[in-house]
Amino acid sequence: MPDSTPHPAALRLEHLTWQPLTRREPTIDAVDLEIPAGQRVLLAGASGSGKSTVLRALAGLLDPEDGHLAGTQPVPGRPGDHGLLLQNPLHALVGASIGRDTAFGPENAALPRPEIHESTARALEAAQVDLDAERVPLDASGGQQQRIALAGALALDPAVLLLDEPTSMLDADTAAAVRAQILQAADGLTLVVADHQLEPWLPVVDRVVVLGKHARILADGPPGEVTGALTELQRVPPAREHRPSRSAAGSDGDVVLRLADAAIARKGAGRDERPLVEHLDLELRTERLHALIGPSGAGKSTVLEEVVGRCSPGQVALVPQNPEHSFLATTVAEEVGDETLVERAGLAELAAANPYRLSGGEQRRLAIAAALAQAPRLLVLDEPTVGLDAPRRAAVLELLSSAAADGCAVLVASHDPEVIAAADAVTRLPAPPPATVGAVPDRSISPVRQEPRIPADALNPLTLSLIGILAAIGSFAVQTWQGGLLALLPVLLLGPLAIRTWGGGLLRLLPISLSAAGLAWTTALLGDAPALSGQAWLVGLKEATRITMFVAPGVLALGSVDPTALGDALGGRLRWPARPVAASVAALVRTGHLGRQWQIIVRTRTLRGLGTPRSPRLLAGATFALLVDALRGAEQQALAMDARGFAAATRRTWALPSPLGRADLLGTGIALGLLIWPWVAEHLVR
Amino acid sequence: MTRFRTIDLLVTVLIGAAFGVAFLGYGQLYTLIGPLTAAFKPAEGLLAGLWFLPAILAGLIVRRPGAALLAEMIAAIVSMLLGSQWGWGTAISGLMQGGGVELAFLAFRYRRFTLPVAMLGGVLSALLEWGWEKFAYYQEMSWTFSFLMLAFFLLSGALLCGALGWVITRALVATGALDALPAGREAALQAQPAAPSGGSESPATTGTRGSADRGTGPGPSQKADA
Repeated sequence: MPDSTPHPAALRLEHLTWQPLTRREPTIDAVDLEIPAGQRVLLAGASGSGKSTVLRALAGLLDPEDGHLAGTQPVPGRPGDHGLLLQNPLHALVGASIGRDTAFGPENAALPRPEIHESTARALEAAQVDLDAERVPLDASGGQQQRIALAGALALDPAVLLLDEPTSMLDADTAAAVRAQILQAADGLTLVVADHQLEPWLPVVDRVVVLGKHARILADGPPGEVTGALTELQRVPPAREHRPSRSAAGSDGDVVLRLADAAIARKGAGRDERPLVEHLDLELRTERLHALIGPSGAGKSTVLEEVVGRCSPGQVALVPQNPEHSFLATTVAEEVGDETLVERAGLAELAAANPYRLSGGEQRRLAIAAALAQAPRLLVLDEPTVGLDAPRRAAVLELLSSAAADGCAVLVASHDPEVIAAADAVTRLPAPPPATVGAVPDRSISPVRQEPRIPADALNPLTLSLIGILAAIGSFAVQTWQGGLLALLPVLLLGPLAIRTWGGGLLRLLPISLSAAGLAWTTALLGDAPALSGQAWLVGLKEATRITMFVAPGVLALGSVDPTALGDALGGRLRWPARPVAASVAALVRTGHLGRQWQIIVRTRTLRGLGTPRSPRLLAGATFALLVDALRGAEQQALAMDARGFAAATRRTWALPSPLGRADLLGTGIALGLLIWPWVAEHLVR
Repeated sequence: MTRFRTIDLLVTVLIGAAFGVAFLGYGQLYTLIGPLTAAFKPAEGLLAGLWFLPAILAGLIVRRPGAALLAEMIAAIVSMLLGSQWGWGTAISGLMQGGGVELAFLAFRYRRFTLPVAMLGGVLSALLEWGWEKFAYYQEMSWTFSFLMLAFFLLSGALLCGALGWVITRALVATGALDALPAGREAALQAQPAAPSGGSESPATTGTRGSADRGTGPGPSQKADA
């Protein structure tokens, strides 16, 4: 099947109409579009014109269960034939390592193992991913992530590449590099790009299709012949209010915060790690719009966090990159709580609307208005214009300028040239040193390696699970405190084999010890014996040893289990249903990312003065915001996974084997030993 | 409606993963009622229903057999891998809690997703989880206190799992995040009973909001469920 010569395919939408069940109007209304094999097409159109939906139709992924479909969408000849790249590469990532991520498509296509490895290496090469294949995709920079997503599409040897604003989240230099790499990889394929940024694509496409409302085609032709429609598209409405010139006011503003020669470490960095940002000078003044710029991975978000951390609460307001992370009310009016601010944000007509139902641009303006309602001295924003079209970017910028004019210090992390142009002061962070210096990255798929290596790593996850499960069953034989203590002896002896570092091991054992102590106390207090008598305490001790025997072996063994290896074992070896197993692994791989979102959500809300991280109200709101984040992400992720052949992957293969070796025989022996030992121990102490 | 599409699968497992993460933050809640539970352990049952939320939400949103159980199992596995104090006991708890909710939906053959069914799910989960905890953790607790604990469990299951889960689902429908899922679709169909049958003529713009790129969905005030 692998075949390196391109074989482009033609695409055809025939009188296609698509109306999602939840919409009152069709998103696509009777559209005819024919794209010959090998053509390069740019889809242009205002936000909401249905560009993304047209791409989805071209991928053959409109789901008749979701809406009314009439006409025809092209059906890919085989899984992954129509590759799809999304605006946010985060949604495309499913693997714990770059190699496993790229292998996801070939696994879905049920390729034999050698072919999976071959096509993965070839795709990583073609997409010019310059990180080792064992690295974690979710930790990579935005530019690398989009390359990894591209590799994921290329691994299935597509005939068509469909791109949805593939570089809109990247800084200008990275975007140009990624664009060049995409075009190189797409050489000879049919290519359809939807984007707000038109200029970079115009010289390289054969044809431009301009979409209007309901994806109706307004103009269609070679780039030179549709200039009229394109100019109309990029027209920015004149600003509503003229912002007063600050130099005329003659004020220098007051200093809100000053960082001089500061060194800022990555969050959670080790003690001997070099700081992410060094020699940073930053002076934030009221009435000023400050821009913090630099390529992705330079540490912009880390600096924002530091700035927010140094301000006293109540002084600073934060608008996160995803405005939904800050929402807490059910109407726009309640969210802001100040009518003039609602009006200034241009949201007066939407005062009764649900914040989550607004468009991307409206949501950004709402989050800014809500932050301004706190009357902060400093307003901090993370990429407030990302993913918006020209008129909507202008509206956000206007709001920020007027906030500065009103006396607020505004700090914006951004890579948007328009933000940079409008700023009064610009601080540039240098690019981080390249990850691999000149070396050829390793492209082979290997198991996730945790360091330092421990004996338990030699065991299959199934054996490790068996140890925990059998020991838990064995614990029920504990009848006396003496027997319980004796039963724990082998756990104490074997435990160190499963501990990576003493600190980490203690951290895992601490909750167990606390709950064992808690159980002893509860038993002594609420048992059948007189409360807190000597006899009651001995029963309590017995319960504590029993519960430790029940839990500790499993907790220690699970410490060395990696979700991907567990998925390989359950799906590849035990042949559990492939799709639920693969989806579960993808979700488990994402828990680290979800944890980061949770922290952003909680911090944003704490800064809004909604309470401490332990107030039930704040936790409830944060859980809701995390759910919305996960659900919206799920829709995009499902799209990305289906474009890589997941929908039909009921008989998929697994890139790595799940070996059972001699060590597992020993492990099984240990498991059986832990099952019967508590019973033996009871007999020994009688 | 028994086959899981990719989005159904992902929503199910991500609800589980999101709660697995949020539960870590919830540890703080226990310090809040700490003094109460130290003196009187059964009171901890008052918060029990919160742990069944992934199951009820996945069941109410995805509406497919097995969704509730899978979501709760994922939440349990996330807790386990991150080092929950109950080890493999967490997996059994996931089975009991997810299984209880699943039984309630099964009893109505996956056709009714109303408040009473959700509360029944919470109650069944509470019953099973209590049985497991009594067997595994609180063998030596006297039966008087054990039954008191059961009462707290049932109350919490009905309210913090059933009723709260139903309310959260409605709030999620209002955000538009469920538009591609059965719960969101049902709400939309009830809001516009005369849905077009696939024709290309667009109905007049009834109440279009300013939402350009998230379209003209039903407004936030629409009823989510019967």
